[in-house]
Amino acid sequence: MFEPKRLHPISAIINFVKTLKDAALPLIIVLVLNGNIFSGEVEWIPLLIWIGVLLLVLGSGIIRWLRFTYRMEEGELRIEYGLIFRKKRYIPIDRIQSLDFSEGIFHRPLNLVKVSVETAGSTGNEKAEAELTAIRREEADSLEEAIFQEKKRRNGRQDDETWDTEEVQAEMEEPKREKVYAMSMKEIVMMAITSGGAGVVISGVAVFFSQFMDLLPVGTIYNEILDWIQIGVLVIAFTALVILLVAYGISIVMTILRYANFSVFIDEDDLIITRGWLEKKQMTIPLNRIQGIRMEENLIRQPLGYASVTLISAGGSVLKNDEHQLRLLPMIKKAEVGEILKKVLPDYDVVDDFHQPPKRSLFRYILRHSWFGFLASIPISIFFFPYGLLSIVAGCFLAVLGWLAFHDAGWNILGDQLTLRSRGIIKQTYLMKKYRIQASYEKQTYFQKRAHLSSIEVMLTSGGGRSLASCYYLEKKDTEEMMEWYRIKRAGEKPSEE
Amino acid sequence: MEQQPTQRISQRALTLWRIYGWIQVGIILLLTIGLTVTVFLWDWPWWIVLIGLGIALLEVLSFVWLVPSLRWKRWRYDVTETEIDLQYGLFIVTRTLVPMVRVQHVDTEQGPLLRKFRLSTISISTAATVHKIPALDEQEAERLRQSISSLARVAEDDV
Repeated sequence: MFEPKRLHPISAIINFVKTLKDAALPLIIVLVLNGNIFSGEVEWIPLLIWIGVLLLVLGSGIIRWLRFTYRMEEGELRIEYGLIFRKKRYIPIDRIQSLDFSEGIFHRPLNLVKVSVETAGSTGNEKAEAELTAIRREEADSLEEAIFQEKKRRNGRQDDETWDTEEVQAEMEEPKREKVYAMSMKEIVMMAITSGGAGVVISGVAVFFSQFMDLLPVGTIYNEILDWIQIGVLVIAFTALVILLVAYGISIVMTILRYANFSVFIDEDDLIITRGWLEKKQMTIPLNRIQGIRMEENLIRQPLGYASVTLISAGGSVLKNDEHQLRLLPMIKKAEVGEILKKVLPDYDVVDDFHQPPKRSLFRYILRHSWFGFLASIPISIFFFPYGLLSIVAGCFLAVLGWLAFHDAGWNILGDQLTLRSRGIIKQTYLMKKYRIQASYEKQTYFQKRAHLSSIEVMLTSGGGRSLASCYYLEKKDTEEMMEWYRIKRAGEKPSEE
Repeated sequence: MEQQPTQRISQRALTLWRIYGWIQVGIILLLTIGLTVTVFLWDWPWWIVLIGLGIALLEVLSFVWLVPSLRWKRWRYDVTETEIDLQYGLFIVTRTLVPMVRVQHVDTEQGPLLRKFRLSTISISTAATVHKIPALDEQEAERLRQSISSLARVAEDDV
């Protein structure tokens, strides 16, 4: 792979469309201001400018495609590009963490993929280190293979022992990857229905029906004008409801399209997540970059017995489009999590026996969750007198949430794994390995000191920067035990690679 | 775990923090003077001035007198071969453990006031967090920085 290669010509079109999308607003404004195109009275100059801009964008797309070359040379991925300023970017193979493939609507008919090169250095909101807009799938595969070979040659050995045996067997067969999890359509539909949008829709429906009920029995008594006002309100409420429902429907369809064919593979020491129907996405996460696991149960899904499991991974620009990309199990029966995790990440154990905070913490939890709600309800009740009193109900709801949070809080230490469970609104369980924790904090206020309580916080690193797991108002001796656990291994012994 | 870390930060930190306190008080006093002028100019109620003076007085009590000494007493640290152990915080007392293997780099910094008092702040960064020990003696900070960075290099580990 030494000769410089071009991307597939379709990338010129993709460039063009992308630039057009970015510049859509000004272009449309120009078009609108020049609105009399259709009435025959065409103003030629603005129209010409418009066409000129279009040609320019198309031209730049083509030139950018012509200028963009990539090649593998001397253990580096060398990319040269640039429209006006020629740029060269050489990425040492060692630094490449993974290649992520995705396919958009332009890619699929031609069997092309977009390749994003992730390096250890690229973090947070930055773009991927390098992006090959469109290349043939075979080329992408051979690129991946070349990078893998190069890495192997350099390291001389595979540093992950655990996967060695599987690796030997796997290399015999043609597809090396082993499928460890696939999401069923039922789960995808369940996930789409119970997504965050659902709450909004439910409250929307409630508001609508409360209006509707108000109107029905008394409609005949009211005089005509009042009737019309009421009907006006009804029409607005109805429109809003329809809009909500449509938005909800769209979000359901989008979720289904996005998560269709969701499956997880293990390929030697990488975890591969593929998903999507119209636009296929493939994420590669090196196993040794995984820092921890977070299990979440929101208020709608928890009663149904469902949870979602997210990976906390260091590096990679995975947070580009929020954390959804790192969902390992987007929607899963809670009871099945342990079994699947055993296949995917056998180091991590799902535990269910938690040490809980003592009874005297209950009051603190309730206060912590609801003080703001009650405080806010005072001015609201005063200023919007009769209806404002309803805000007290909101405060009570928060108090109940605090009570739930007390019951959900807990911690567990099993070997070198710490599990912390807590609830803000969503119930979160963090599974963490001792050698992945960046720092741990024990916090205690003056009042907690008198009650022999204290809180624990531990920090993990993740693509976005950091990830904090915490558990509040535990017995002082419990947090001390956790701090001591975090401290102990430091007696000389180097943590073994997992 | 019950026992606190042993090392303390420099005594001169107290003087420094008191000076910071006085600077804050100075700003409040300037604002109060500004307010007094407006009271005379536009006949604003005179109790506004009293509020300003009250805040200044409270600041003298807390930020000049009480807070620096409490903060100094609370601040303790220990740097061993294997970990960094910090304790700080006025109302919320925080105990932090940072294993040496997690340390990525160490910086010391010194503003003009700190330099005048031959003090220096050391910040210890991991992949996810930054931990600061404020107002250490210049030489102590320098020694600590070198020892942490050499210890961190020995305790190499991924991520």
